Amino acid sequence: MDLTPAPTLTLHVNGRPEEFAARPSELLVERLRDGLGLTGTKVGCDTGQCGTCVVRLDGRSVKSCLVLTASAAGSEVTTIEGVSERGGELTGLQEALRQEHGTQCGFCTPGMVMALGELVENTTPGTAPTEPEIREWLTGNLCRCTGYHSVVRGVQRACAAPPPAPSAGSAVPAAEGR
Amino acid sequence: MTTVTGESTTAGTVLGQPLDSREDPQLLRGEAVYVADIDLPGTAHMAILGSPVAHARILSIDTAAAERLPGVLKVATAADFTDVMPLPCIWIPGGVESHFPPHPYGLPGARPVLTGDTVRHVGDPVAVVVAETPRQAAAALAAIDVAYEPLPVVTRADEALAEGAPQLHEAVPGNLNAYWTCGDKDRTDAAIARAEVTVELDLVNQRTINSPIEPRGAVGDYNAATGEYTLYASTQGPHNHRFLLSALVLGIPFNKLRVIAPTVGGSFGTKGYLYPDMALVLLLSKALGRPVKWVDTRTGLMNSTVQGRDHRQHVTLAGTRDGRITAVRCTSYANLGAYPSTIGPGVATALMGRSISGMYEIPAAFCEVYAAFTNTVSLGAQRGSGRAEAAFLMERLVDRYAAEIGMDPAEVRRRNLVPKEKFPYDNGLGWTYDSGNYAPNFERALELAGYAGMPARKAAARARGKRLGVGIATYVAICGVGPSTRMSKEGMLGGTWESANIRVHPTGEVTVTVGSASTGQSHGTVFAMVAADELGIDPAQVQVYEGDTLKAPYGQGTYGSRSYSMAAPAVALTARKIKAKLIKAGAVFLNVPEDKVVYEHGGVHEAGNPENAKTFAELAMAMWYGWGLPPEIEPALDETTHFDPPDFNYPFGTHVAVVEIDELTGETEVVDYTAVDDAGNIGNPKIVHGQIEGSIVHGLGQALMEAAEYDENGILLSSDLTHYALPRAADVPFFTLDRTVTPSPHNPLGAKGAGEIATVPPAAAVVNAVVDALADLGVQHIDMPLTPEKVWRVLEGGAR
Ligand code: FES
Ligand code: FES
Repeated sequence: MDLTPAPTLTLHVNGRPEEFAARPSELLVERLRDGLGLTGTKVGCDTGQCGTCVVRLDGRSVKSCLVLTASAAGSEVTTIEGVSERGGELTGLQEALRQEHGTQCGFCTPGMVMALGELVENTTPGTAPTEPEIREWLTGNLCRCTGYHSVVRGVQRACAAPPPAPSAGSAVPAAEGR
Repeated sequence: MTTVTGESTTAGTVLGQPLDSREDPQLLRGEAVYVADIDLPGTAHMAILGSPVAHARILSIDTAAAERLPGVLKVATAADFTDVMPLPCIWIPGGVESHFPPHPYGLPGARPVLTGDTVRHVGDPVAVVVAETPRQAAAALAAIDVAYEPLPVVTRADEALAEGAPQLHEAVPGNLNAYWTCGDKDRTDAAIARAEVTVELDLVNQRTINSPIEPRGAVGDYNAATGEYTLYASTQGPHNHRFLLSALVLGIPFNKLRVIAPTVGGSFGTKGYLYPDMALVLLLSKALGRPVKWVDTRTGLMNSTVQGRDHRQHVTLAGTRDGRITAVRCTSYANLGAYPSTIGPGVATALMGRSISGMYEIPAAFCEVYAAFTNTVSLGAQRGSGRAEAAFLMERLVDRYAAEIGMDPAEVRRRNLVPKEKFPYDNGLGWTYDSGNYAPNFERALELAGYAGMPARKAAARARGKRLGVGIATYVAICGVGPSTRMSKEGMLGGTWESANIRVHPTGEVTVTVGSASTGQSHGTVFAMVAADELGIDPAQVQVYEGDTLKAPYGQGTYGSRSYSMAAPAVALTARKIKAKLIKAGAVFLNVPEDKVVYEHGGVHEAGNPENAKTFAELAMAMWYGWGLPPEIEPALDETTHFDPPDFNYPFGTHVAVVEIDELTGETEVVDYTAVDDAGNIGNPKIVHGQIEGSIVHGLGQALMEAAEYDENGILLSSDLTHYALPRAADVPFFTLDRTVTPSPHNPLGAKGAGEIATVPPAAAVVNAVVDALADLGVQHIDMPLTPEKVWRVLEGGAR
């Protein structure tokens, strides 16, 4: 794609058209954070490994630090700010993660919500993903605080998956009411 | 599934409940503000030029070309900051026996904010650029021309201490920062000399990188009109950083520096340290008259933020043929890296050495540590710091010993646990364990793990081409740092107490402020629970503020799993002061003698006459008006407590790992993991539970995949997340967790540290399990991380 002189590009971000002249080599995450002030999307690494920058691009979850803004022109971008209203009600997935305390420092959380949103949305009711499937899906998102367990439980809850059998090593002490 | 062994001493109704974290919704919506999200008007952006070589003399730095680039506002080198003091190290192994600590300026080897003469590790900062945009600042770094004259490099502590090794600091001959010992050497040597059985191991506790998912960042904002500085930083200890920066480094008045920790994206020890960038953004903001912001990259973090562990050890255990441990001895070479970090030397010595005997009653113990400087990133704390290294060596030794005498490793442990009636227990290495009841904890873990069924599982696994191994690890973790006088004896320069303030507003709502600062531990939820529990009110009425030195009373911050056993007791004691005052005032308002006033559900009433009562809201308003109060009762409800406990607290626990090794690939899979931890009384089990799970995964990471690898030139090879492996969701199974409860007598909540304690044993448990799985091949030890390649080589080559 020829980037000089900078053409005017359009992104549809959280349902709103945004027009701007993209800088050469500009990454989508830079446009979102620095250009549009949507700081819910995080930058945790320089190598596309951590998943804190995941957004939805035409419905698919992508790492926005690996996407050139120009190559996303014309696309629908959904960031964490487009998932639930500011200060407002949580989505089913967010609510399930809240109930399972699936977030501690929260830095990985927006990326997790964006990536898991795709999994949950594409789950037909009654065909909940298995624990290994959820863990596999989460492979692109690093979390250093939770050890992932509460996140996995959150997805199970969001998909109304049956709770893990005690013999499989349920991490939920019954006495603690969860 | 929770066994409550021992009595909880917390009587309230809120504490102990698994309430949802009130912090979670804004995190889930991506609304929380981290340093990188702060955007003050007029902000300029800073980038740091780190050395590309590990050891060299700087011959010249030419900044002219960089200064001419578009957007560049300033390029600075060490020459610009000659009146700035080096970043101090405030933990001097060996202790300070005085009310008046030595002035900690200019300690040997202390790090300057920018290096002017000699760089000592890759990433050592030599210049900074401030520009209009982050990209312009980064681009300008490439235009700075630095001429280096290479010097020889050393990256291992033992090699740094050898004759003829490269020297890092003129003031530190032989690179030895400290030779530190604890325990009784003569007694230990004698016990080992006359023992029936001795076993020895050479261990490498590899260097690891904490890798909080949020890299560090800092924003400096100088106000020329008032002369006040504000620092926003990803810090675990805003008050501590304020003290260090204002009084010790920059020489600006304490009361003109405000430090704010916004939401912090994980830390695990590393963000409690003082780094050059924190000073630089303040200095440059003043120089330029604009806010200056710096946000690190992942690679930058790996080359500049303190790293952890890194001991090379020779360890010995002595015992009888029938399984009684009689002595343990450790000689350790600890790698402090290029500069003494804020508290790194204390982590490598006291935190490790005094913990080595763990849950066992051992008549003779001795530990010596040679803490040395090398051309690597500075050493610091890392989740479970010191205690994890100690548990690793002890638990490896116990398994070696069990194998040597042909006894079940569980039975050996059982025979040596400190019995309940021996508490408080002096471990002979400098710690006095506050309370403990180890046997039920230990047996519970074995039972939950199905330990008795392991032989059958091993046979079944072999039939599937897998080798199954089981590993046990127990631990005692020193937490609740700490008693200030006691810490001075360890050489900590600074008050280590915590404080809390409670202000009851005229409307009956309550504000709690604490000196501690969360890095993801839901303090806003938990401290509200503590206040509400004590005052008998709804936690929803209580708002917690922390992380801003202007708003909150002093406190050291969050580290070493101390917030709930240090700051929460301060909250509880403050609430009791409020309660006491309300009982006194209640006598006036109810017109009855004080001993007839009953405080219940936040209000007061006359004993035996519930009609004569005042609600919490009524009391709050009346106290705010202050009408009709006798002179001995001041108006308003606003109390503060500074909590300095009599001694540390000592959580403990037992973990059991079950692994399966693929015979063809050498891959180790953790198939079951059981942990029974005892953190005394806990405030919110849901939150602690989450911390325990995360901690275990962190420990498994060290066992299986994490390693900071330096080459012979001191280049950090694992300097990004493609080369430094962190556990991912698919690397772990669900865990089986339980807890026992042995309250600490050293604080009013009976609390012990919890946040990171479960990081202490997993590495030992997993290595024990892998060695167990390979025992028939004659394997006695494998160094971490247990990568498939390493295990495969062992499988191919047999004994090692
Ligand atoms: S920032 Fe780490 S994957 Fe994009
Ligand atoms: S919650 Fe902190 S990194 Fe995931």
